[in-house]
Amino acid sequence: MKLYEFQGKEIFKKYGIPVQSGFLIHKNDEVKNLTPPLVLKSQLLVGGRGKAGGIKIWDGNTDALKIINELFSLKIKGEKVRAILALEKVDILREIYLSITFNRGKSTPVLIVGTSGGMDIEESARLNKEKIHFVEIDPFLGILEYQIRFVAKKINIGNYLEFRNIIRAVYKIFKEYDATLVEINPLAITPSGFVAIDAKVNLDDQSSFRHEELFNRLREEKEFIQDKKKVHTSKPKEDTITYVPLSGDIGLISDGAGTGLFTLDLINEYGGKVANFCEMGGITNSEVMFKSLKMVASDHSVKSILVVLIGGFNRMDDMAEGILKFKKELNKDIPIFIRMCGTKEEIGKELMKKANIPVYDSLNVAVEKTIKKAMEN
Amino acid sequence: MSILINKNTKVLVLGITGKSGRLQTEIMKKYGTDIVAGVTPGKGRKEVEGIPVYDFVKEAVNNHEINAAISFVPPPYAKDSCIEVIENGIKFLVLTTEQIPEHDVVEIIKYAENKGARILGPGSAGLILPGKCKLGVHPPNMFKGGHIGVVSKSGALSYEVGKTLTENGIGQSTVVAIGGGPYWGLTQLNILKLFQEDDETKMIVLLGEIGGTMEEETAKFIKEKVNKPVIALIVGKSAPKGKSLGHAGAIIEGDLGTAKSKINALREAGAYIANDPEDIVELVNR
Repeated sequence: MKLYEFQGKEIFKKYGIPVQSGFLIHKNDEVKNLTPPLVLKSQLLVGGRGKAGGIKIWDGNTDALKIINELFSLKIKGEKVRAILALEKVDILREIYLSITFNRGKSTPVLIVGTSGGMDIEESARLNKEKIHFVEIDPFLGILEYQIRFVAKKINIGNYLEFRNIIRAVYKIFKEYDATLVEINPLAITPSGFVAIDAKVNLDDQSSFRHEELFNRLREEKEFIQDKKKVHTSKPKEDTITYVPLSGDIGLISDGAGTGLFTLDLINEYGGKVANFCEMGGITNSEVMFKSLKMVASDHSVKSILVVLIGGFNRMDDMAEGILKFKKELNKDIPIFIRMCGTKEEIGKELMKKANIPVYDSLNVAVEKTIKKAMEN
Repeated sequence: MSILINKNTKVLVLGITGKSGRLQTEIMKKYGTDIVAGVTPGKGRKEVEGIPVYDFVKEAVNNHEINAAISFVPPPYAKDSCIEVIENGIKFLVLTTEQIPEHDVVEIIKYAENKGARILGPGSAGLILPGKCKLGVHPPNMFKGGHIGVVSKSGALSYEVGKTLTENGIGQSTVVAIGGGPYWGLTQLNILKLFQEDDETKMIVLLGEIGGTMEEETAKFIKEKVNKPVIALIVGKSAPKGKSLGHAGAIIEGDLGTAKSKINALREAGAYIANDPEDIVELVNR
């Protein structure tokens, strides 16, 4: 789960990382008694809002409401501005980059520190490799003193103790919140010390079982901002379905990511186009099969559906049950083509045969049939 | 010879009383895997398929000789159970569990590394030594014994290719699925190294997919250290950028990790590139 800046900064505050004082303005709030100067920052989950004009400074010479309304009319990378964080303005002497995330290739947490921070960090990381420093962290030992001393020296930090406390706090948040990223970009050096100007915190959805209250609270906050009518506090998802809308006329469902990717390639090669792709993931049962079919079939551009099943964990008797339920309850006349093999395939095939649903052993044949049917319809 | 396990490997099943654990234990046992014990906390003193179940790994290792383990434990308890296995001196673990929190995965992998244990996974379908035994969920009828070593990220794709090879009369020495990522205990490179040293494996099939840079690193190793023929199939050529299609590892971000970059690296390393399983058959027969 990606957090908004204001949510991230709430956490920063709790862990003693200095942030500017400020308040949140919602879309329909009545705004009055503002004191300049203020930094007005659109609260968005997409990156690059600064460059897209999502951050404005109000110096008191113009109408603050006008700026606020302008920000609320913005849509950046498809995301509408629905909340603005108004912050006191601070004098910035220097900006640095600081984050802790995972180096996935090496299966280890990593501290990343940059001599200069700001909007162009990605660009400058590519161009000036010597200005970015990476320190691998042992998950059992945590971040060590000498490692912090090392980066502090590299990027020439004067106030070491304060810097160390911030890095320790960032690591603590990273660990305790099951974060996959805690980023401060920029971390400003001001006449009165360090200030986290921005906050980017991503939490691991897979860890939600041990942070149920936190996830619910953060989600409710997000839904309030996104103006969603219904606030649901139930668990985020019980299944492991991945749904990807594409553009074409074939619905594709697979019980494995690898075969799904491969079938997608195969359909392309044979001249077909996939409208949407549904990968059922690790926890697969008849209900997941049913839901996947429902999801894929709800797209009206879908003219035929290909279900690719090759079960190890996944049981073909369960899959057949899900397919039959879909046929029976939704009775859609979209043609379904099935490639079915693996665990309990005899039972699954028997069930399909009884229901007169064609099952193929060869993936290539199933792909060809599906494409042909989509073209006819 | 074979890699990682053999017919005499004595196996412990973690999460043996769950729905998957139970069914897969039954299939593995029937196939010839020597499963000696199971562990499910709170279910000790029961039996599954005539196999004794214990509350703790320690109790199992005190009563049986155990050389390898396979875990069907759900994500919230996966870390705990992996550490328990490693702590009790078991040096090889197949971790089938998916969706384990990232912080836990990183600790599991690091802990194994510190203690000299090997983890296949997380999210691994395991491995099969066709005709001998299997430690995982590969459907037995899709494989037959022979001399091709197969290593795949995806479990399902390894079944797909195994099935095609078998239908065309080509047998396999060992078929391994390392998991869809984005974290791996044993990597393609680790498995390739084992295949290179394995007498029974005459040819290697590498099944990769988009995302990350593992195939690129594997290619480097192939070029320098592998003299057995390698046939590679990379899937996800037509996948959209920036979207996960199921495996967390299979996301293309930036230029690295595209099918093209992987195929180029592998071709340059001397691997034969296949477009689909039928191609692999053709290349093997050539």
